[in-house]
Amino acid sequence: MARSLWTGSLSFGLVNVPVSVLPAVRDLDLHFRQLHEKDAAPIEVQRWCSKEDVEVPYEEITHGYELEDGGQVIVSDLELEAIEPRRTRTIEIEQFIELQEADPIYFDHPYFLVPASEDDGARRAYRLLTDVMGRTDRAALGRFVMRAKEYLAIVRERDGALTLTTMMFADEVRTAKDVDAATQKSHKPTRRQLDAAVAVIEELTCDWDPAKHKDRYQERLRRVVAHKRKGGTVQAPEAQEQPAPAPDLMDALERTLEELGRGGSGRSTNGKR
Amino acid sequence: MARSIWNGTITFGLIAVPIKVHSATEDQSVHFHQVHAVDGARIKQKRICSKEGKEVPYKEVAKGYEVRSGRFVVLSQEEIDAAAGERAHLIELEEFVRHEQIDPVFYDRTYYLGAGDDGADAYRLLHEALERSERVGIGRWVFHNREYLAAIRPLENVLVLHTMRFAEELVPAKSLKLQGPSRRPGKRELDMAASLVDALYSPFDPHAFEDSYRERVLALIEAKAEGQEPELPEREAEQEPGDLMAALQASLDASRRPKTTARRG
Repeated sequence: MARSLWTGSLSFGLVNVPVSVLPAVRDLDLHFRQLHEKDAAPIEVQRWCSKEDVEVPYEEITHGYELEDGGQVIVSDLELEAIEPRRTRTIEIEQFIELQEADPIYFDHPYFLVPASEDDGARRAYRLLTDVMGRTDRAALGRFVMRAKEYLAIVRERDGALTLTTMMFADEVRTAKDVDAATQKSHKPTRRQLDAAVAVIEELTCDWDPAKHKDRYQERLRRVVAHKRKGGTVQAPEAQEQPAPAPDLMDALERTLEELGRGGSGRSTNGKR
Repeated sequence: MARSIWNGTITFGLIAVPIKVHSATEDQSVHFHQVHAVDGARIKQKRICSKEGKEVPYKEVAKGYEVRSGRFVVLSQEEIDAAAGERAHLIELEEFVRHEQIDPVFYDRTYYLGAGDDGADAYRLLHEALERSERVGIGRWVFHNREYLAAIRPLENVLVLHTMRFAEELVPAKSLKLQGPSRRPGKRELDMAASLVDALYSPFDPHAFEDSYRERVLALIEAKAEGQEPELPEREAEQEPGDLMAALQASLDASRRPKTTARRG
C-alpha cells in the first residue's frame, strides 16, 4: 500500500477519527530525463545566483515575493511555517452537503482516507461515518493543511472507503459570463432540431464503463520508445482536416439518424475510421 | 474573457460544432521566486551536461527514456509529439452516458467551451440536447500534444469540457485492505450519526470559504514589506478518540443549541 501523505484526525462534531491520507490516483505516465543530445548524457540542473554567478547550495535558497512596484520581500521557510494554520493535524468537518450541490468544476485532487490506528474504536468511528454517508448522498466539507497549504476538502463514501477530494476555492473558478455561449434567441434550436439531436444522443448512449477507455497517448508513447529502441525512426502523422459546420443542421441530424437507423455508427460517412 | 487556448470542432454523428476552449480555473496560490538568501538575487537554473560539465543550450536538450540504469532511448520532441495522435483539432463524441453514472473522481481539469466561428446554432443545439437528455458526451481531445479522454456537459448556460482520469489511474478501494471494526456500528449509532449529519447540513456555498492560508501569506508579506517581524503562533494538542456513543450524543446536543443550528440554510 502507498505511503501515507498526511496523518491526523478527522473530526465530526465531538467524534475524532484518526486517519491517514493516501493517494487515490497513481501516475502511470512514462517519464523522461533531459539529456544532452550529442552525447546522450543526463542533464543536471544547478541553481546559480544571478548576481554573483556562483552555484548556490540548497540551504542558501529562500523565497522572494515580487511586489507590484518592482521591489521584493524575502520570506523564509521558518516564517511560512509559523503562519501555517493552527489545526494542522485535524480535518474538521464544518458542514454536510448534498453531493450534487458541489459541481465537479470545484473538485481538484482525490485521495483516500483510511483509519490511522489499530484501535477498534477508531475503526468503528471510521465505519460509522462511511456507512452514514454511503446510505445518503451526503458529503462532508472541511478544511485541512497538507504540505504548508490549506485546502477545502470534500469527504464522501466511495466503494466502501472514505474519499477526500481537495476543492478549488470560489475565486479560483473563473466566471463563464464572458464565454460566448450563443445564448441569443436567434440561435435557439427549433423543437424538431432538438428532438432529433436528443434522438441522436439517445442512439449513441451507453452505460459509463470507464475501464474500456485506455490511455492511448501513453500506449503510443510506449510504442514510439520501443520502435526507437530497435533503431527505427518515427514520423508525426499528418493533421486531419476539420469538418465544416453543416449549412443545414436539420439535414445533418436527419442523415445521422438515418445512418444510425441502418445500424451504422453515424460516423462512418464522416470520413474517419 | 481571456483568449481561447484551443480552437476546434466537436462532432456527434454528422453534426459539427465549432468551439473555442477557455480555462475555467486558475491557481490563486501565492507564488514565490527562488532567491539567494545572501544577496536576494534571483536563482536561475542552469542545465549542465553531466559528462562535459558544461552548460547545455535549450536546443541541444533531448528526452531520454531510461531502459535500464544509465541506458537511455533518446527521443526528440517531435518524436514524442508523434504520439499525440492525428485528430489534432477534432473532438468526436463517440458515446453519451447518463450524467449520474460518472463518479466525480473521474473529472480532472475543467475548461469552458465557447461557440466557434459560424457555430452558434450548433453550439446551442448541443447544449440544449445534452441538458434535456441529462447526458454527458465522451470523446478524445488532443491538447498540448497529449491526448485526453474528455467529457462534455452543460453547466448553466455554457458547455464545459472536463479532462478525465483513466480508470487504471485510480487506485481501487479494494487495495486499501480496510480492516473493519470487531463489531459494525449498531442501528442506534447509525441513527444518531445520521441525525448529526442532518443537523450539520447546509447547502453548498463555495463563496463561504476563503483560502485563509493565502490571506495569511499575503499579510506576512505585507508586514515584512513594512519592516515588521511576524509572531509565532502556538500549536494545538491533538484529541484522542473516546467513547463513540457519548461523543455522538454530545455532538448532537451541541448541534441543537441555537448558535450552531443557526448555520442551517
